[in-house]
Amino acid sequence: MRISHENQYAIYLLTEELLHIIYKKSLCIDLKAAQLIVRDRMMLQKGRKMPVLCDIREVLRVNKPARDYLALEGSQWITALAFLIDPPVSDVISSIYLGTHAETVPTRSFTKKSEALAFLKMNGRI
Amino acid sequence: MPNTDDFRVKRIHKMLLEMARGNFFYSLEPSDKNDNIASLVVMLNMVNEEIGAAFIHQGFANAHNTPQCIIQLSLLLDTNGTIEMVTNGSCSLLSALPKEIIGKNIMELMTEPSKKIWAKKMVKHLKRDRSETVLFLELITKDGLLVAQNCQISVFQALDGSGRKIVLNSVFFSKGEPFETGLPKNKLKVTKGIKEHKVTLTPEDIQMIREVHDMILNNLDKDLPLLKDLALQKGTNEYKLKYGFKQIYGTSVFRFLTQERLRKSKTLIQHSNLSLKEIAHMTGFKSPAHFSRAFRGKYGKTPTDLRG
Repeated sequence: MRISHENQYAIYLLTEELLHIIYKKSLCIDLKAAQLIVRDRMMLQKGRKMPVLCDIREVLRVNKPARDYLALEGSQWITALAFLIDPPVSDVISSIYLGTHAETVPTRSFTKKSEALAFLKMNGRI
Repeated sequence: MPNTDDFRVKRIHKMLLEMARGNFFYSLEPSDKNDNIASLVVMLNMVNEEIGAAFIHQGFANAHNTPQCIIQLSLLLDTNGTIEMVTNGSCSLLSALPKEIIGKNIMELMTEPSKKIWAKKMVKHLKRDRSETVLFLELITKDGLLVAQNCQISVFQALDGSGRKIVLNSVFFSKGEPFETGLPKNKLKVTKGIKEHKVTLTPEDIQMIREVHDMILNNLDKDLPLLKDLALQKGTNEYKLKYGFKQIYGTSVFRFLTQERLRKSKTLIQHSNLSLKEIAHMTGFKSPAHFSRAFRGKYGKTPTDLRG
């Protein structure tokens, strides 16, 4: 079963094994955007814990209130998190995010989707 | 020209200079490019936000001696948005002379997204005689840095019969002095209330307290061990942990725990179908009643009201 969903900031693809979130190109992910992104993710997951693949290659900026929200309130029901990045810009974004927040679940950044998926398979089992 | 590497590096220099002065409210406009300079800009903006937050927080933790310098951005505009008056503080904030600002339209100082917000929102507010709102606006300084902040906008009727005017206000924190002079730079002193400093925290102590902080965040659903045991586990004493935590995070260990549990529960109440009892249990509250009380204490309404 595959479910897809889209809002202003992201596209979601939900499969049996994982949730794939592709962030769209936007000027800045602020708190409002982050809340919407998390709300829709939780709505799709319906309480199921699962690994999440976050494609942030198009992201230009995530401001601090949004980063804090995503790391604290917004990190529930995730068993493992892989960022798909396109260095150098999104690499820097994920590094700062990971470097300034306590890691609640296994989290890593990848430039190759296949490696990201392998990581999630290894670490994201419930 | 604005896209040459030379130009972009100069902007970065200006930004770093402002940070060195203790001004963390500037930022750099992100570009569409995905190159090393763009990544540096992104990193600088984020580091700036992190340091800025820590900086103000540090002031908060040491609230009894915080000579925070406040810069007020204050502009008086006519209904077209033409700037009629500007305070000196605003001029230095925008690194321009009064004569360079007065007479200009406020939109000329804004980024494109802010222009859109301004144009859209002000139509509505200018229909009324009096109106107040808060808009998040990005202004561009003469040096090309961004000042992004919530601005209080008030529309009022001038008494001299010249019609309506707009006041635009915002407040920025600048360089404060959270540490007393003569103190070694890498050591924080712990205060008990507003009394004298009693314990000195080494960088290792600070690291240890950060670990406790992260440990709490990652175990919100579990009971917190006694502070005494926790301190022992971390190779320190209860006193240092207790007051050191308060010094660094501005709140006690238990208040922090409750606050983070409530934050987590709020998201669950809003976006999940779990029962309130389950949520209370998942976020470490002993009973739904206790949960409800604590939640109301923080957010002003009960979990049931929020879900309603």
